[in-house]
Amino acid sequence: MALAPLDEAITLDQLSSDPYPIYRRLRAESPVLRVASTGRTLLTKAALTKAVKDNPELFSSDDPKTPMKPAFRAHTLMRKDGKEHFVERKAISKALTPKRIKADWGPLYAQLSEEYIARLPRGETVDLFTDLCGPLAARILAHILGIPEASDEQMMRWSQLLIDGAGNFGWKPEPFAASDAANDEMDALFAELEPIRRAEPDGSAYALMLTAEDPIPMSQIHANIKIAIGGGINEPRDALATILYGLLTNPDQLAEVRAQDAWDKAFEEGIRWVAPIQASSRLVTEDTELGGFEIPKGDTVMTIQASANRDEELYEDGESFFVFRDKNPHQAFGNGPHHCAGAHVARRTVGKIILPMLFDRFPDMTLPNPDEVVWKGFGFRGPINLPVVLN
Amino acid sequence: MIKVTYVAHDGTETVIEAEEGTSVMQAAVSNDVEGIVGECGGSMMCATCHCYVDEAWEAKTGARSDDEDEMLEGAASEVTERSRLSCQIKLDPSLDGLVVHLPEEQL
Ligand code: HEM
Ligand code: HEM
Ligand code: FES
Repeated sequence: MALAPLDEAITLDQLSSDPYPIYRRLRAESPVLRVASTGRTLLTKAALTKAVKDNPELFSSDDPKTPMKPAFRAHTLMRKDGKEHFVERKAISKALTPKRIKADWGPLYAQLSEEYIARLPRGETVDLFTDLCGPLAARILAHILGIPEASDEQMMRWSQLLIDGAGNFGWKPEPFAASDAANDEMDALFAELEPIRRAEPDGSAYALMLTAEDPIPMSQIHANIKIAIGGGINEPRDALATILYGLLTNPDQLAEVRAQDAWDKAFEEGIRWVAPIQASSRLVTEDTELGGFEIPKGDTVMTIQASANRDEELYEDGESFFVFRDKNPHQAFGNGPHHCAGAHVARRTVGKIILPMLFDRFPDMTLPNPDEVVWKGFGFRGPINLPVVLN
Repeated sequence: MIKVTYVAHDGTETVIEAEEGTSVMQAAVSNDVEGIVGECGGSMMCATCHCYVDEAWEAKTGARSDDEDEMLEGAASEVTERSRLSCQIKLDPSLDGLVVHLPEEQL
């Protein structure tokens, strides 16, 4: 068997500015491809990406070569496997289950969403990306995690600094200095709040982890909260912006979504169409084979869920935003043991609460110049602006 | 092959033939049975593969593990004595003819 072909033409710039035509070509021509600019083997077909994520023994998340560890100053659950991962994951999952989100947090989310949406001015052009999507996602997350004392500004800044650090594949000192400063701020706040959450547990992730019968170590409690801060703001924000773009540029679908109250479908389609986390990495633990090519131990494969979500084998016209698909088995939340711990939170807040509320308050919202919207990102992707007129 | 019947919340029955060794969740997902999502691929991380084992089969499918119990607590629909995570029920010949009922919602 041969190694996968090596591509030396595709650049990181291309993957960040307009990856979809590239992925479409790769699905047809080279679904297993070593891409020199990324230093990894890219997998672009749905069957391959799922097979990799469902097999953590062979394709490990425990990759010591990523900048994630210095950025979080911890080896986090995202980068662990097996029993060790399970224990830490279970500790935080309890705060994020469908039942808890619906019964305990639903009313609070609705109230917070209402407050933030009520602040938006009518009749003006507003950038929803900066004025609503980011701050609201931050506020809701602060409550779920049990750190509502943190401001929206802090939550968003910490999140971005953690992500910049975790994405610092150039290993430059500045991003780590910045994430260090953020870690100091977070650790100080968590320590200050610890006695309060212990004395009056409020069902938040922090309180549940602190008061568990057999608690995980304090360092890992902190690391878990940080992972949720890093992963819980940008993705819902990007998801919301993507869905709004999809609906506002397809008014016929928007009308139908309204008529059928199908906001949850719109949510699933938005994250299928442009997955907020487009790619994940896994370290190969034994020599193996994928799609007919030899994959050596020590190689890093990258599952491109962005591409899997448009795979012609699963979707008719996957390149288009179309809410009313028969089936939508997308991989935007990943697969396997690392399947997004916040999936239920995201579904409920964005799909069931924010979207209907926003269109209820501003039924004639428009996006006058869709061409002005800029899309960006290889690891993470979404519009970076969304100038709408609220009416 | 092992026969499994899935009874949806509205009473619709889907009968499939599954291979020995697969789970009730995997069998449902690979046969497009609606009502079982199974997002985490059977890692006991998502509780979207919740099912109720038919009374007649309760003894044969066995008891839930502690980890399963904990994860089930978070399921979207009501959890009863007969609730299981279908990814944790492995099909063997003793389960030929198994009947499971599906909850109203998984998400
Ligand atoms: C639309 C919004 C979201 C999307 C698309 C998304 C996507 C993902 C994906 C693809 C992964 C898997 C990464 C991998 O396989 O390596 C993941 C993991 C994770 N996400 Fe999300 N996420 C979203 C929202 C959230 C929210 C709101 C939270 C927190 C409340 C959250 C917390 C986490 C955590 C803790 C993990 C790590 C799970 C583990 O490693 O076991 N996510 N997310
Ligand atoms: C050789 C080049 C690069 C490779 C191979 C690479 C690979 C990756 C991979 C695999 C992820 C997915 C997250 C995971 O599962 O760990 C990721 C995340 C990320 N990347 Fe890159 N990346 C590269 C360069 C860059 C550059 C130049 C930037 C920004 C200037 C960047 C920013 C990010 C960010 C912000 C994340 C999110 C980190 C997280 O929280 O997981 N990356 N990158
Ligand atoms: S498939 Fe996720 S818990 Fe069973």
